[in-house]
Amino acid sequence: MNRLHPRIRLLWVARAVVVALVVGGLTGAGVLFAPFSIPIYAPVVTGGFFLVTGVGFALLRYRAWRYELRDDSLYLQRGVFTKVNTVVPFVRIQHVDSARGPIERLAGLASTIVYTAGSRGADVSIPGLTPDGAEDLQERLKRLAIRAEGDDAV
Amino acid sequence: MTHLSPLSVPYRAAQRSVSIVFAVAFFVFSGGAAFGGFLGAFGGIILLGSLVLAIAGYEFAYYQRFEYELTPDTFDIRSGVFGRRNREIPYRRIQNVDISRNVAQRLFGIAAVNLETAGGGETEGSLRFVAYDEALRIQTEVARLKRGESAGEATEPDREVLFELAPRELAIVGALSFDLRLPGLVFVFVTSAFPVASSYIDVPLPTSGVVATAVGLGGLVLLVALVSWGAGFIRAVVNYYDFRLTRVGDELQYERGLLQRYNGSIPLDKLQTLTIEDNPLKRHFGFATLLIETAGYAPSGDSRNGSSVGRGSEAAIPLARRERVRSLVDDLEGVAEPTYERPPKRIRRRYAVRYSLALGAIALALFGANTLLDRAIPWYVPLALVPVAIVAGVYQWRHRGYGLTDDHVVTRNGFWKRETRFVPYYRIQTIIDTRTIFQRRWRVATVTADTAGSLSLVGGDAAAVDIGGDDAVDLRETLNDRLRDALAERREERRRARQAALGVSVDATDESEPDDDGPTETSTDDRATETQTDDEPTETPTDDGATETPTESTDTDDSFLWGDDVEAPDEEGEAAVEDRSGSDSNDR
Repeated sequence: MNRLHPRIRLLWVARAVVVALVVGGLTGAGVLFAPFSIPIYAPVVTGGFFLVTGVGFALLRYRAWRYELRDDSLYLQRGVFTKVNTVVPFVRIQHVDSARGPIERLAGLASTIVYTAGSRGADVSIPGLTPDGAEDLQERLKRLAIRAEGDDAV
Repeated sequence: MTHLSPLSVPYRAAQRSVSIVFAVAFFVFSGGAAFGGFLGAFGGIILLGSLVLAIAGYEFAYYQRFEYELTPDTFDIRSGVFGRRNREIPYRRIQNVDISRNVAQRLFGIAAVNLETAGGGETEGSLRFVAYDEALRIQTEVARLKRGESAGEATEPDREVLFELAPRELAIVGALSFDLRLPGLVFVFVTSAFPVASSYIDVPLPTSGVVATAVGLGGLVLLVALVSWGAGFIRAVVNYYDFRLTRVGDELQYERGLLQRYNGSIPLDKLQTLTIEDNPLKRHFGFATLLIETAGYAPSGDSRNGSSVGRGSEAAIPLARRERVRSLVDDLEGVAEPTYERPPKRIRRRYAVRYSLALGAIALALFGANTLLDRAIPWYVPLALVPVAIVAGVYQWRHRGYGLTDDHVVTRNGFWKRETRFVPYYRIQTIIDTRTIFQRRWRVATVTADTAGSLSLVGGDAAAVDIGGDDAVDLRETLNDRLRDALAERREERRRARQAALGVSVDATDESEPDDDGPTETSTDDRATETQTDDEPTETPTDDGATETPTESTDTDDSFLWGDDVEAPDEEGEAAVEDRSGSDSNDR
């Protein structure tokens, strides 16, 4: 079982921090401009709450994430509250993307996205890979998918 | 190259004019009072007239510049008045050919034709409009060309009427149908009007609040039931009037509709899942509904909102005796209902607790409303329903289960709307095993077999819900294995069939393979060895480095060219799925 690159935690934590800041800021704006009075410490409380839960969630999420290339399928395990295990048979892979968003690029990370014809196709994406790792995974998945040689996709 | 029906010009022009002209007329003649000074009624009429002329001109140009052609291997459409688009749809990718005619179109003798492929978010080929005969010709022609016959050899495939809906049955369909959307609207309306109404009710009966509420609630329930029943009846009759299902060669064709006639084809080899649906009433009278799913239908606007009506195309048999439905399932897929594996018995307690909690929440909300608004609502009434919750829990458990047959996984869920789904192993796309935090407490899991079927988009996946945790792992792995085996078997069968057809020896390569992604000879070899040494770990690609490049390029070319694959990558999709798996756990 492979884990994600540890640096993905940084990304997710940063995201949680941003969310917390935005929420705190909005509450702050509420304190300043709302017609009714909101306690002055409200922004700190809400922001802090979002910060703690967000960061905790990000860390737990990292701990829960696993993926594995098995003989004939890609296997993913993830989820904090709802644990989700997904089996994607190589035969069913339609195409594989490796993608790098701007923030991912800053962090030196990339993700691989696997598409099937299933109704939940876009569900299968593996974040937190090194750029080389993502390309390598894409390459391997592609090769395995070709070797598995499906029927017509659906 | 063929043009659309000339009659489509006046029809389309009229169709388009009506809405625009109404809007403009409204503006000019009502809001345009200030306008009236310099425009006047006469000017308004001139303006409208020129608008209509412009529309007619555009539609004529559209007709002129819209051409389609059935070539030997693609369906070509060239269209566009200003921006041109040439589209070629390979026959093999066409899943359904649908014809629809509303009342006006029937008067004109024209029909709308939709060609659906598995991919994309929209209908791939849409002809607005052709003569009805031409529509039928396209339908049969596409079916024939798809089989790989050239246009010349007109072998009439054998027709067999599988099912016809007699008027009496139609009445039963209506009587047993409920449409909860209209009551939903009524409910919204009533609740918004409730404060007004209650002020009338409360004044004369200030003391007997309990009775008034009870009567009010009872009346509301009755009203909802009646309205939904009426709406269901009308909808069923309009939809399924003169319904007929025919097997034509290797396709199913249906015809239905009172006002708007639908006529569609469902290729049997694109069939994804079969679903038998019933409700307590249908079960009591021994009826059931059969739904057939193909991968063809794009999620249209209304199906995203949770109702796949409108399209209605998946519905194969609106209503028939249960035995009849079962024999049809046997006909189509060769599968019978297995003995179901039920979730562990402890789950009954979970359901009972869940319903009781819901009742508790209602009671709490009422209590809160009582104290806040100072009303005398009998907040404790919902608590009297706790025994019902327990019974409901047992019933939910009883109607839930899954079973594995030789070639299918069968799942069953739901009491009010019980759905039994038959998914062939080789149609499974991904296997998803989810455990919510509550499910983990009860040591259970939900295993979903995702297919490319279109009903799954509206939340109707084949899922074994709340099965024991270890069973879930077993089921997941079994499904994966059986998918692999089933695919290998099908591949082998096809290869044999092809070789038999070609009359060549066993070790000849199948270069003449008509379908798939145009594998090169080397890759085919590779595949052949692959099937034989299935158990070897596939992860060490040492020998195919040389063959890789050509295979890859054809592969990508193909999928990009035809774009028959998957929807665009979006964050939303992922979020939606996560949302859904969350809500799944709540309402199951």
